[in-house]
Amino acid sequence: MVKIADQLEAEIQAIFSGDTPWVTIVWDDPVNLQTYVVYVFMELFGYPKSRATELMLQVHNEGKAIVSSGSREEMEHDVARLHEYGLWATLQRGDQL
Amino acid sequence: MTSTEGFARHGDHSYIAQFGESEKEVLLNLCEQIIELLAERTDHGHDDPLAAMVGITSHDSPPEDEVLHRLLPNAYADQVDASEFRRYTESTLRQKKQAHAISMRIHLKSADDGIVDLDHENANAWLGALNDIRLALGVRLKVENNSHEELELLAPDDPLRGVYAVYTWLGWLQETLLSALIDDADEDAESQLGSS
Repeated sequence: MVKIADQLEAEIQAIFSGDTPWVTIVWDDPVNLQTYVVYVFMELFGYPKSRATELMLQVHNEGKAIVSSGSREEMEHDVARLHEYGLWATLQRGDQL
Repeated sequence: MTSTEGFARHGDHSYIAQFGESEKEVLLNLCEQIIELLAERTDHGHDDPLAAMVGITSHDSPPEDEVLHRLLPNAYADQVDASEFRRYTESTLRQKKQAHAISMRIHLKSADDGIVDLDHENANAWLGALNDIRLALGVRLKVENNSHEELELLAPDDPLRGVYAVYTWLGWLQETLLSALIDDADEDAESQLGSS
């Protein structure tokens, strides 16, 4: 839960400082098991199972989902960790979705 | 010949599986292949040694090999940003993936009676390694284009039939480890939620 509060804080800070928040996107992949994707979201972001499952289903049904947002550096860190566990992730500016 | 029943949780954060001799051989062989494949993508000889020390490589374009490309994907849609990011991070990513496979290999090699006993951290390394192996096999099987129904119907003499059998077995094995882990992880998340 701490992570979500941190993200909110980062977004609010971005609004006031004029910095655009960046986002991490996970793309659908036919190999990664659904349970595995849920587990990676829980493990890397500290999301509860319900939130992690919701995101996994969004990836599966819509082809992609935003899994985190914050500064560019933070998103690069998130993408690197997702790649370490074999998820197909990219980052981009939040206003260019 | 024994065949494994997959992973199960034993006590506090301990995940145990017992593998038959041939299962162990298959897993070890796959670990070796992933380790070798990642090693093929070594940093160029003309790298600045100082840059190499801090993990900067001369690789700024994705691997041509399809499997390596899937294991080391681009972080940005934009090519310039993707190249820049790759130059600074790819060697670390390769090392982490190799470390997962090496950890799995060590456990298998030291498994008495085929018994593997993992803590939470080791279990994560196994999951990462098993997943990389599945990603590699998935590229070879063209899972992107072929449906599971099509793959089920491969001719008995098709060499991919055996690959598909291993691929589905690894998926099942990964699933058994995940269900043992997720029970734990969810309890942890709920207890954190309760205490906040």
